[in-house]
Amino acid sequence: MIAIFKDIFEYQFLMNAVIAAFLVSIVAGIIGTYITSRRLVFLSGGITHASFGGIGIAYFLGFNPVIGAIIFSILSAFGIEALSHRKSMREDSAIGILWAFGMAIGIIFIFLTPGYAPNLLSFLFGSILTVTNADLLSLLALNLSVILFFVLFYRPILYIAFDQEFARTQKIPVTILNYVLITFIAIAIVLSIRVVGIILLISLFTIPPATANIFSNHFGKIIFWSILLSFLGCFFGLLISYGINIPSGAAIVVVLVFMFGIIKALHGLYNWLKRRSSMARNK
Amino acid sequence: MSKILDVVNVTAGYGSDVILKDINFEVIDNDFIGVIGPNGGGKTTLLKLLLGEINPFQGHVNFYPSSKDETLFGYLPQVSTIDREFPIKVIDIVLSGLMHRNGLFGGNKNINRKKALEILSTAGVEHLWNYSVGELSGGQLQRVFLCRALISQPRLLILDEPNTYVDNKFEKELYELLRELNKRMAIIMVSHDVGTITSYVKTIACVNRHLHYHRSNKITPEQLAAYECPIQIISHGKIPHTVLLDHRKEAKV
Repeated sequence: MIAIFKDIFEYQFLMNAVIAAFLVSIVAGIIGTYITSRRLVFLSGGITHASFGGIGIAYFLGFNPVIGAIIFSILSAFGIEALSHRKSMREDSAIGILWAFGMAIGIIFIFLTPGYAPNLLSFLFGSILTVTNADLLSLLALNLSVILFFVLFYRPILYIAFDQEFARTQKIPVTILNYVLITFIAIAIVLSIRVVGIILLISLFTIPPATANIFSNHFGKIIFWSILLSFLGCFFGLLISYGINIPSGAAIVVVLVFMFGIIKALHGLYNWLKRRSSMARNK
Repeated sequence: MSKILDVVNVTAGYGSDVILKDINFEVIDNDFIGVIGPNGGGKTTLLKLLLGEINPFQGHVNFYPSSKDETLFGYLPQVSTIDREFPIKVIDIVLSGLMHRNGLFGGNKNINRKKALEILSTAGVEHLWNYSVGELSGGQLQRVFLCRALISQPRLLILDEPNTYVDNKFEKELYELLRELNKRMAIIMVSHDVGTITSYVKTIACVNRHLHYHRSNKITPEQLAAYECPIQIISHGKIPHTVLLDHRKEAKV
């Protein structure tokens, strides 16, 4: 164990992985709390998988797959947001269609691309150990803009998420803020693909807020605890994957779920003890 | 007493569905209007029209603010539209009622908090300020929502079925409170429960595709038949009583 800690400071790629885990935890903690509070988990899953279509086309045309993924995820996010206001289309069906269509486009174009598609598996399963300095810079830029946006507009974001109809009567620019938020969700999703990959990505945006929600009902505090839990999960998942040589994304998810289970159990135990002592007092 | 808003020859609805046809309506200071009508008749559409959530297909909705920074509306939506598991505290819900005054950045925190706690204590739920939505009963949630609607001291309070999910005791308290508030502001209340509201409201508007509104608190059987509105006949006298009349169309079934 100690040897691994020493390695982190010795090897640049490990240090980069830890920094990436930290940066992704911040953005996933903030965006994830918003997603889970508004019950947008399925929507985010749809955006994530739809982005694979952009990756496929980018490979085929020979430009940066991350750019392709961002374009696809933003477009699909806007599409879902716009569709959801029409009564003619059920939102979850629309998400399901985009989810499958994005993956299908991705597979077709990667299949059509001559030769070997490098890093394809890293997009599906994540590759936190190959994070470059450029990746870190883009994550840092995203972090700063998300933090700035949430600090400046914390209250309107919270009010819109809670009760959109009422927010509209308060003359809050609900539609604009919703589009900005969905753009952030789309970009955050794509830049986090590096860490756990498309298949496991939704874990970072849902498990930490769900865990924090066990013991807190305060939007701001859930954000704080999600960031912390997410980083702990990423860090220890990384150590385990490095130590016993298993895929890092899967190791991170297992650690996150493990923490969820422990906290859920502890919370249940705490409530049970509280009930028992109050019952004893009433006797 | 001056006019707050009027609705002139408005036709409105969603997409290609016309829900309200050619309606005229006005609200004057200190009005207390009960809006009744069958389900699907357009009660909620009327509210959305007044709140500016939808625009009319035809006609105009005009507002007459008396000063630039007055709050025109306080709005209490149906509780059923709310996600009861959302992680938000009571105090923050109440503070959201000040949003349009403070702009996007929030305004003075301490003054706002003090205001919110004050209004919670007038509604008798000050002790709940740190609770989250999920921990509240239906009646408590209605009180909190009423606080949210009132904190900006609106000129017109709009309530959408405030008597759902609450017990009789709370309902009575609510109506007494509204009667008190009516001295300071106009009130529009949508309700499915015609029997109870009629003893509190001053006038009744019936919405059933068309809108039937007279500045009177009495409805005659003749009017009723013309309105095709399944409501009670209200008469005001020394002995409290209500006379029920079957809705003609429904009676045929």
